Formats: sequence, C-alpha cells, structure tokens
Amino acid sequence: MLDFFARNRVATLFGVTVLAFILIGMAAPGYLSLSTASVIMSNSLVLMTVALGTMLVILTRNIDVSSGSVLGLSAVILGLLLNNDVGLVPAIIVCLISGALAGLFNGILVTFFSVPSIIATLGTLGLFRGIMLILTGGKWIEELPQSLKFLAENGSIGISVLTVAVIIALAGVWAITRHTRFGRYFYAVGDNREAARHLGIRVNLVQISAFVAAGVLAALAGIIFAAQIGFIPNQAGNGVELKAIAANVLGGVSLLGGSGSVPGVFVGVIFMTSIDSALVFLKIPAFWNDFIAGAVLLLVLLLDGRVRIAVEKAIRAKRYAVHTPNKTTVIPAKPATAPTAQETTQ
Amino acid sequence: MKRIFLRWEMALFAMLVAEFAIFGAINPRFLNLSNLLYSTSDFAQIGIVALPLTIVIIAGGIDVSFASTVGLCAIIFGIANFFGLPLSLCIATALGAGAVAGLFNASMIHLSRIQPLVVTLGSLYLFSGAATVLSGVVGAGGYEGIGNFPDSFTSFAYLEVASLPAPFVVLLVEAVILFVILHFSRFGRAVFLCGLSEHAARYSGLPIRTIQTITYVMTGVFAGVAGLVLSAYFGSARVDLGTATLLPAITAAVLGGASIYGGQGSIIGTLMATLVIGYLQQGLQMSGVPSQISSALSGALLVVAVALRHGSAVLTSFVAARIMATNRKRAAS
Repeated sequence: MLDFFARNRVATLFGVTVLAFILIGMAAPGYLSLSTASVIMSNSLVLMTVALGTMLVILTRNIDVSSGSVLGLSAVILGLLLNNDVGLVPAIIVCLISGALAGLFNGILVTFFSVPSIIATLGTLGLFRGIMLILTGGKWIEELPQSLKFLAENGSIGISVLTVAVIIALAGVWAITRHTRFGRYFYAVGDNREAARHLGIRVNLVQISAFVAAGVLAALAGIIFAAQIGFIPNQAGNGVELKAIAANVLGGVSLLGGSGSVPGVFVGVIFMTSIDSALVFLKIPAFWNDFIAGAVLLLVLLLDGRVRIAVEKAIRAKRYAVHTPNKTTVIPAKPATAPTAQETTQ
Repeated sequence: MKRIFLRWEMALFAMLVAEFAIFGAINPRFLNLSNLLYSTSDFAQIGIVALPLTIVIIAGGIDVSFASTVGLCAIIFGIANFFGLPLSLCIATALGAGAVAGLFNASMIHLSRIQPLVVTLGSLYLFSGAATVLSGVVGAGGYEGIGNFPDSFTSFAYLEVASLPAPFVVLLVEAVILFVILHFSRFGRAVFLCGLSEHAARYSGLPIRTIQTITYVMTGVFAGVAGLVLSAYFGSARVDLGTATLLPAITAAVLGGASIYGGQGSIIGTLMATLVIGYLQQGLQMSGVPSQISSALSGALLVVAVALRHGSAVLTSFVAARIMATNRKRAAS
C-alpha cells in the first residue's frame, strides 16, 4: 500500500485532490458543479502552460525561474503588435518566436557559459522584465482588439480556443516525452548527464531545446494571459514561475532531474488552482490564500519526503535480509537500519 | 601580491570604482560624500539579508523565504507595539520570530529531506501569508501597514553613528561579526566543509544538521533585523517590506562569489557586491535613467558577471588542457 503510493506520486496527489474536492463539496454545497470545473480549468490555463515548460527544464536537471518575465515580455510584444494593426496570426507567431529567443538565451547561458541555471534564469528574470518595461515605457497596454479576447471566450460547449490549445500542448509534450526517442533524452540527461554523453546523446542540444520549449510555452501563457485579462499590466506573470515550480514538485517532478510526467504536472496545477477557488466557496477571506497555499505545499512535501524515506528503508531492509544467516523476521531489521541510523544521527 | 590582486573581491572593487567614475562623470553630485553615505539607507537591507544568506549558500543550502520573513518580523513587531509592549520587548519578539522562522525552515528541510529551494519556496508563501493574516488581527485590513511607532524607534533610521547613517552601521557591524564567525572560527570552517562535501563532513564527525540549522536561524534573525530597520525607515510595518530584497540579495550573494553548489563564498565579497548593486541602482537613478531600465541593467549585470566568472573558469581549464596536450606531444616526440 505504502509502496504503491510512493511509486505512484500522481495517484497519491489525484487521491488527495479528489478527497479535497469531496470535503469542500460537503462543506459548501454547489461547489461540485460543471461550472466550477470550467472556472478552475480556465483559471489554470496560464499556470498549466508555464508549468509544462518548467517541467521540461526540470527534467534535464536545470531550473527556469525566468518564465514569469518571459510571459510578460512576450505578452507585451503581442499587445504592441496588435495595437499597431498587425494581424492576429502573425502577431501570435512573432510572440511565440520571441519566447523561443528568450529561452534560447537562457539555454546558451546555461550550456555554453556553464552558468548554474538558477543564477542564469534569476538574472534573465530581471533582464526580460526590464526589456518589457522599456518596450512599454512603464505603461499598461490596454484596448486589445476583440479578436484576441475572443480566443478566451467559452464556446457553446464551455471550452475556449485557448483551452483546446493548452490541451494540444499537454498532449504534445506527453507524446514527445513518452513516445519519442528525443523525448526520452530529456530524462536521460537529467538522470545522469555524463552517462547520457557517453551514450552519444547530444547533451547540449537537449538542454537548449528544453529551455527553448519552456520559452515558447511561457509565450503561449502570455497569449492566454492577454486574451483572458484583456489588458497587459506591468506585473504580468509576476510570481508565476514560483507557482509553476511548486506545481511541478506537487506533481512529482523531481528537482534532481530525470523523473516526472505530464499527468503529474496536470494534477499538480489543478490542485493548486482549486485551492484558490475553494477558498471563495468556503467564504474564507482572500488574504488567507498565500498562507493556505504555502501550508498545503509544505505539508505535501513533508508527507512525500517521509513516505520516500520509509520506502527507502523498507527496500534496504529487503536487500540486506539476504545476507542474514537465519532468515527470521526480526534480525533483518538490524543491519537494515544501521546505515540509516548513522544518517539520522549526523 | 598576486594572491591579493587576483581575488574576485578585487574585481568587485574595480566594478565599484568604475561605477563611481562613470556616474560621477555623468552627474558630479553623485560623488558628493553625504549622498554616497545616505543613499546606503536605500539598499542597506539588501546587504543585511544577503550576508547570512551567503553563509547558508556556503553550507550547501539556499533560503528564498527570507523575503517574507522580513515582512513577517516587521508585522510581529508592529503587533507587539500595538498591544503596548515596551520597545525592547517588541524588538526581542520580532527577532525571536525570525529565529523561529529559520528554525522552521531548517526542521522542514531535515524532516522531509527535500531540496531546500523547494521547502523555502513553500515557506516563502507561508510566511507572507502568515504576515498578511496577522496584520488583519490588529485591523490593518490585509495589505495596509501598521504604524504609530514610538519616536525613539523611527528616529533610529535617521540616526548618525560616527557620521555614518544608522542602517549602514548596522550592515557594517553585522558584516564584521559574520566575517569573524565565517572566516576565523571553527564553526566557519565547518560551514565550508559542509558545503564542499556533506559526506566528508559527516565522516569527520561534524554535526551537519546543527550547523545547517544555525545558518538558517541566522538568516531568519537578520531578516528580522532588516524588517526592523525598514519599519523604522518607512515609519510603518508592511507585509511586502522584504519582497523587493529577494532577487537583489541572492544576486549580491552570488555576485559576491558564493557558489550555488556550496563550499565557496566570502562575507567581504557579498558586502562589496551589495555596494555594487546598490550604487548601480542609485547612480542610474541620479543619471536620470528610468527605473525600468535600471532593473534590466541589474539583471544583465548578474548574468554578465556570472557568465564571465564561469566562462573564464571554463576558458582557463580549456587553455590549461591545451597546454598540457602540447607538452605531452612535445615530450612524446
């Protein structure tokens, strides 16, 4: 049982999410409805897209904290183009390309200048935000054309064009990471860089494409942001990078690289977003949001950490049990706990 | 001589001199001594949190929650003051809260054995949430500040100690204390060993957990100090007091030579880097550059400086390898 939950992180989180939904549904009747689901879905689109890109980077054992600024920068580029009478499709293409370039810049810094990714992206977090503010001159971009806002409108079946785009992105990343050779390289590079190199994988290329993909997805999130809100404030995307990392961790993506999956990120993002909407239904004042989000995140981390430690202990006990001369159930525990005891009494 | 001049701190010093020269040429009033001294009040808090953060990074951890701890401690100070506690007790409560926050981080990290970045990311939300909730207790309604401090407290930020502004003095005194602790004590050596190799440190019988816990607690306490200095400077305690210190402080630690992988860094480097970052912002502002460009430039500074540092290391090892290879060829032939 313990084994199952430790191995199936996604299943655990899914269970917790469903349980949370049921509990909230009992406390606040009317919460469990299709309209809530639709609201949560459309609220989660921005975070979902950013988190998806962040996952690709984390898989290769890097981290990207610049995605919030990439989101803002590409949204501003989109807004400026649209307000200068450029067509919607070319504007979106330029916007995505600008995201790709931003990601490429991150990737080059990390790969060819061997700057630790957290430092490089921390720097570009400030850099891209600054470029964005220079472009806008510190003013908000308003009066975006109706054609852009239409993308966010829910159609007859309650699904907007953007939702479809995000679902396609999710499916695409899932298919690539699960079923293509190049996709598996992301895991290989993150799990063991040197081994991947010796296997003939072009480690640098994989790493850079992870950053470029993250940039493109952040730009897509920028489009979603602009379409949903209808204007682009200076602080667009501020802090979304931290939420994306948190959602990844919740969804079982290891920050040490090499493990994580798209369904996990999906559930993680839905979980994070549903906390916000649940607070509204439970009539809890909005200023509790951060506190509860932080507490939930820490609680999940603590539980996950403890479960993993317990499982490691159990696996080790099984492994050492072979060496004990008379196979009783009591004795194997002793050599098994010896190494861990040493660790815990550091 | 070589060992003094080739240190990273000298490069930072050169950057600082270059900044003074450039900004002085653009706007001569920048080099006015009282301006140079008093503009430190605008960025002293960055250094106050960046210095203990350096020690955390050297010990192989990282803490991003200090940005919220600053606000949390300020709010707790404000609440204690609101309920009429004497000033000294208020300050002690705020610093105690900082220590508890640090202790909380350290225990969470050790209990869950998950990367410190993630855990402190969680507590970044938790602490700022706690501060927001607490400020509601005294009816400050969510995001407003708590004011009405005694004059003896608010005047502290504008006090002069030996003709230096008080926040800067706090920073200097802190730097001296941490310099001695890190570079001239047994504990300091242990911190470096922890960061270099946790296994080596463990097999040397060092109490790794205690050492790392102390580094987090120090960060919490000094985040409290920064919160108090800022509350005195602005005359009110707000939840978001420390939010703006998050990136500059990490930048200062890293620009100052701390390796994000642990085991490397120095207090003087971080102090110099704080001055470089602070005066860059001040100088740009005085040269009439809009604040949005200065934020882009400080981001670019971090990227360029670190890229140069790592790039030059890569280049050096590449050149060294080539020289070795040619030598070997020569020896063979």
